[in-house]
Amino acid sequence: MLTCDNYLTPSSLDEAFDAMAEHRGHYRIVAGATDTLPWAREGRAGDVHIPAMIDVTKIPELRQLSVNDNRVRLGAATPIQRFLDDRSLVRTLPAMPRCAVWFADDQIRAQATVGGNIVNASPAADATPCLIAHAAEVELAKKSDGNIGRRRMTLDQFVTGPNRTALEDGELLIAIECDSLPGYGGSFEKVGHRRSLVISLVCLATLVKLDAQSQRIEDVRLSIAGIGPKPLRLAEVETFLRGAAISPERLEQAADMPASFVASRTRQQYRREVVRGFMLRGLINASRSAGADLTMLAPELEVACA
Amino acid sequence: MPDLQFTATINGRKVSRNGKPHQRLLDFIRDDLNLTGNKEGCGAGECGTCSVFVDGVLMKSCLMPLAKAQGKTIETVEALAKTGELSVLQKAFHKAGASQCGYCIPGMVMAATAALRANPFADREEIKERLGGNICRCTGYQKIFDAVEMARDVQNGSLPATALFEDEAEEGDFIGKNIRRIDAPSKVSGRLKYAADMIMPGLLHVQVLRSPHAHARILSIDTSAAEAMDGVEAVITSADVPGEDGFGVFVNDQPVMARGKVRYVGEAVAAVAAEDPLIARRALGAIKVVYETLPAVFDPDEAMRPGAPVLHDYAPDNVTKHIPIRVGDVENGFAESDLVVEEIYSTQPIEHAYLEPEAGLAYVDHDGVVTIVSPDQNVTHHRHMLARIIAKPISKVRFIMSPVGGGFGGKEDMIYQGMLALLAMKTQRPVRLVFTREESIVSTAKRHPSRTVLRMGLASDGRIRAFQMKMLCDGGAYGLSTEGVMRKAAILAAGPYVIPNVKIDTIGVYTNNTPSGAFRSFGALQTAFATESHLDICAERLGLDPFQIRRINAMRDGALTHTKAKLGSVSLTRALDAVEKASGWETGAPVSRGASRSDLNSDEIRPPCALGARFAAAEKQEAAE
Repeated sequence: MLTCDNYLTPSSLDEAFDAMAEHRGHYRIVAGATDTLPWAREGRAGDVHIPAMIDVTKIPELRQLSVNDNRVRLGAATPIQRFLDDRSLVRTLPAMPRCAVWFADDQIRAQATVGGNIVNASPAADATPCLIAHAAEVELAKKSDGNIGRRRMTLDQFVTGPNRTALEDGELLIAIECDSLPGYGGSFEKVGHRRSLVISLVCLATLVKLDAQSQRIEDVRLSIAGIGPKPLRLAEVETFLRGAAISPERLEQAADMPASFVASRTRQQYRREVVRGFMLRGLINASRSAGADLTMLAPELEVACA
Repeated sequence: MPDLQFTATINGRKVSRNGKPHQRLLDFIRDDLNLTGNKEGCGAGECGTCSVFVDGVLMKSCLMPLAKAQGKTIETVEALAKTGELSVLQKAFHKAGASQCGYCIPGMVMAATAALRANPFADREEIKERLGGNICRCTGYQKIFDAVEMARDVQNGSLPATALFEDEAEEGDFIGKNIRRIDAPSKVSGRLKYAADMIMPGLLHVQVLRSPHAHARILSIDTSAAEAMDGVEAVITSADVPGEDGFGVFVNDQPVMARGKVRYVGEAVAAVAAEDPLIARRALGAIKVVYETLPAVFDPDEAMRPGAPVLHDYAPDNVTKHIPIRVGDVENGFAESDLVVEEIYSTQPIEHAYLEPEAGLAYVDHDGVVTIVSPDQNVTHHRHMLARIIAKPISKVRFIMSPVGGGFGGKEDMIYQGMLALLAMKTQRPVRLVFTREESIVSTAKRHPSRTVLRMGLASDGRIRAFQMKMLCDGGAYGLSTEGVMRKAAILAAGPYVIPNVKIDTIGVYTNNTPSGAFRSFGALQTAFATESHLDICAERLGLDPFQIRRINAMRDGALTHTKAKLGSVSLTRALDAVEKASGWETGAPVSRGASRSDLNSDEIRPPCALGARFAAAEKQEAAE
């Protein structure tokens, strides 16, 4: 059971930093709180007393969205459900709706935030690989000597390992900025023990842009999670596929490439098989949603993406 | 602890009062406003019994700190219809028989309401997807989906409102008719009170201290610091039991709280009654128990070996119950068989996972009658046992069975009612205990894990000549229903098949694992799993169709079972016919199918693990626009 003396809801960054300074060493930042409350129960952290809970979801800057055809900026407290119901995000982050629909359930997504998912840094976090495929950066802020200073780094660098990030003491994740990829086809492949409310064993985000004839892969983004301590962008595979015509041979060769990256603590053989199937399925689903005519693909690849 | 000034609009009324900063929205609406329609099934966002609308968006109120709901408009299940009335969805749940235990139903109705608000034309797949955050353990979901589809069609006008009325049936004519459940309106509206929803003036809240050890001697328990805490009314241990301590279904081997030693992780050691659950919980931390750990045993095979740790003095070999059955002579049967197959089968412990965690309320009434209200599946037996334990005449003990929010056998054991009685007697105030989901999982019975060695001899034409089974079950730390489970497992082990030579041994064994107990099918699942799997393997070896091998051996009308019960009529062959037809079975030995199955990749096969039904719906809508 979680208990606290104060539940603070600052309405500006300044107020938030002041609260953090006042309760230094005795606070916990929460956004959606959908992981914090289950964490403070038997079997995980047990009974936890936190003197001050600081809820950042009422800070306007953390709720802001700004979207154009080059960049997307997501306030850290953006609920996951926006990836499904905000049309501008659906258009510019084409793999995200498929990611979001697998994420917990409709009710939790309405409360859980993208920033919380990133800062938790679970090796199975679903939003992170998707955003890494968009070359996301994080914007961090900290108040010192009365001034709010900001810094940026890539999301890939920010997540340093299981449940570990580069976030410093007194620092807040403010926003995520990433490539806007309208016109790409997106897919998100995920496997877990059931459909809803399930943590990924493996997940793969795929984004494909086709040339004008819808024959060649002009650009491709691939990012995978659940196979090692942190999500991984598959840059080598992307290079191998970029500019290539879509053919069964090419896709099969690409699908074979990432198996050697599997470094999970458990079930490596299983994950290697999943990764191969997901690569095929992800590339096929993303290409199809980008407008590719896939009738030329061998029937066995069709089965793989069913 | 400072209060949290909380203001919101709840079910159409402005609410302004003090809450606590650590409260969840669920605590506030249930405990402070006594709106108990929405339930707490897990407290971790997994089950959806607590789903409420916050500014029109469905949320899990167990995951929402109260402060997040500040200034919002909240609708609980009580807001869906006026008292005495039902919404279209609630009527459809009533009509479709979608409520059984009812505990998940308020949340399920809320999720269905949200689904049809999001898409009034949602198809069945999309309905499933949108109800994905709500769990039901009774219905298998199909009737729930039927109800949502029915409500959708009535709302859209493609079904007349009369579809929600009760089907007409002749007086007394029930077979094959859709009869509405009498208790459904109270369940779909959330008005039915389960034990955790009940309050009484002066109610005290109970928390239980549980063993961290699998096997340990209790050297001392010091409750003085806990008893001295403000707000703590009583602390009890086994020393507070006035009568003959011990309960069980077949053997009274389990004390109300651990006496002298603990035998499994999660066993109750002491209990506290206090003014609120938080004080009671903090008092648990002030109870000092000194343990001396003992060697423990976790495997039934090891537990039966000489020198293994002994759990109960009365059973030095750790055997709870051994049921032997002998018919004919299996050695002769094997000798005359053309094929002998031996395999080993194992099953795991299974949690019942009813949506309602255990809860109970107790008080001593005006006549001095100790009264226990709880979702108890065996009240009469428990009443007799409790009278002996608290040394009162049977006329001074009363059990009231509250609505059972799912039991499946898991609420047959008197696991916590004894503690409630003792605390009500000690404090002379009403007391209530509500388990957390975690507590329910660690402390209550599971299905018996089993390890079965099965040897079967058959003639080449498929007739079973000999059946020999030895099943070892892990009964855990206490007897509970183990004896009955072993008995039924043995009786049904050889299946509904005519077999001249049978040798069956089912053995339940004490270990330091969580106790095993009653669970739907009561032992038949473990043995049927072995026997039926085995028949498939034998069919494959003999080149027979699995249906055929069962028909060859099937008992017919008038058969005598292996335990000499005469069966008037046997429906097995009719059941086999029906299953064969419904499953689209393609005749042949098990080796003849596989990749060549004609139904693979057909439209009738549902793709596995597909989410995203809403995208297809959105595409269809865009195309229409």
